[in-house]
Amino acid sequence: MILVVSISTLLFFMLRVTGDPALVLAGDLSTDEDLARIRSFYGLDKPLIIQYILFIWQALRLNFGKSLVSFEDAMGLVLEKMPATVELALAAILLNLVVALLVGAWLGYRPQRIDRRIGLFGVLVSQGIPGFVIGLILIQVFAVHLKVLPSIGNQGLHSLILPSITLASFMLPRVIRLTAANVDEAMREDYVRTARASGATSRIVLFRHVLPNTLVGTLALIGVQFGFLLSGSLITETLFAWPGVGLQLIEAVRALDFPVVQATVAVVAVLVFVVQAVVDALIPLVDPRLRSRRV
Amino acid sequence: MSSSQPGGITRRFLPHSRLGAPALLIAGFLGLAVVIVLTVWGQSIAGFDPGKQNLTDRLLPPGADGHLLGTDKLGKDIFARVAAGFRWSIPVALLATAISASIGTTIGVIAGWNEGWIRSSLSRFMEVAISFPYLVLAVAIIGVVGRGFFALSLSLGLVAWVSFARVIYAETRRVKEREYVMAARLMGMGALRIILTYIGRGIRPTLVVMCAFIFADLLVAEAGLSFLGLGASLRDPTWGNMLSDSRINLFEAPWMMYGPASAVILTVLTANMIGDGLLQYWGRGTHQQ
Repeated sequence: MILVVSISTLLFFMLRVTGDPALVLAGDLSTDEDLARIRSFYGLDKPLIIQYILFIWQALRLNFGKSLVSFEDAMGLVLEKMPATVELALAAILLNLVVALLVGAWLGYRPQRIDRRIGLFGVLVSQGIPGFVIGLILIQVFAVHLKVLPSIGNQGLHSLILPSITLASFMLPRVIRLTAANVDEAMREDYVRTARASGATSRIVLFRHVLPNTLVGTLALIGVQFGFLLSGSLITETLFAWPGVGLQLIEAVRALDFPVVQATVAVVAVLVFVVQAVVDALIPLVDPRLRSRRV
Repeated sequence: MSSSQPGGITRRFLPHSRLGAPALLIAGFLGLAVVIVLTVWGQSIAGFDPGKQNLTDRLLPPGADGHLLGTDKLGKDIFARVAAGFRWSIPVALLATAISASIGTTIGVIAGWNEGWIRSSLSRFMEVAISFPYLVLAVAIIGVVGRGFFALSLSLGLVAWVSFARVIYAETRRVKEREYVMAARLMGMGALRIILTYIGRGIRPTLVVMCAFIFADLLVAEAGLSFLGLGASLRDPTWGNMLSDSRINLFEAPWMMYGPASAVILTVLTANMIGDGLLQYWGRGTHQQ
């Protein structure tokens, strides 16, 4: 909530500093009478501080007014697009978990071996490749050359494949590196030595003992990086014309549709908060050691 | 919230960390040399004017008629445009890094030096702000301030300072506990003077490393915003614009993306390698993301 208020405040004053919103709304051909009418309609004729208090009051009630383009409720427009974005984000997170645990286990299990070092260097390099470049390459290979997967829109499960891989790639290198480091560290723990000494094969040790312990760190990182993932979904949704909140935000900014922009920012802030709360609640489920510490 | 911080991951993978640093630094500075050469002489290597249209030579493949990377949909030479992109994208990212470093360092030092409510409220704010998607905020700010070079640098600078502030805050707290700072305080040195001399010197390595990483992040962000059509104005030769063009012509001219994509990757990798190399050379786990 603090964040919603402070970002709204920032946007509110920047909007007022950069120009007369009535002028933006009315367009270049408007007369003085038009401007006056628009000012009184949106409450722009009141003193700035009253405007601000009214604005924050509305923002706290998550009411951002109507879209300047479609005249629908801005909040409603954003919530309508929410499921598509959440679907894409969940697919990307799932992909991240699976790939990061597998690759991370492979890299961290014998980190000194030359193939693992090359692999790790590859992960390091891939961290420098922007997500939208990966998206473009995916489109080129699978949609243009092989023609097996659609590159735009949302027409069922198979059109989720390319966008979710693209979105996952925004945070995958980091998650893999963390998982690999955690596996490497966990392999040196006493319980691994005990398990090995009592006759468990290395595979059992890795999958039964090491990976579950690693999951906590990976999950926590995904929670912390969720905001980063949402940044990526702006680009991913535009690239694949995925009908979500990100695409709508980009279109709203292009059309100077400020109520929708502000509603999106507020919803995203709430979403980030909820995801972190969920991750914080999940971690004790995964790691019994943390259960007793819960207050 | 978990306290797992992957700082120093690379070091764990390179057991002789001091050996890893020179390799990374050499690779990083080689990359930097290539970047500088392309920035300064790229135009003359290309041999074409990046802004010149030639509608008879549209969408040529690489190598045709002396166009090293082919031409775009208006017949402009892609290599020349990629080279011009170095002069556009790098200054934007540098300016944005400078803005966010100034804001972030100031707030980080204030939060780290003062105790009591200033520290607790600032650190609480940073904790919340860091988790907010920076690109969403940047896009919202751009919606207000408009597009173009300075608007772009400003909005990127305004979203990235939190990363600086958080790390500088931790560093300041660490340096403040040192004996020499204690000694200076006991000698009656003023707070401002201690901050400017001792704290400033103590956090400098961290600041340099952070600048390299944040520069890389902001370069990608700039390319991403321009790719979305919200960064540079459409005429500017930025890599993001070129990638956005290549998306439109993906079917006829799939090669169009290679040039700008490699330029982004080269510059980002260079900055990351220099940052990682310096980090290992100075032996600290600062980049905690």
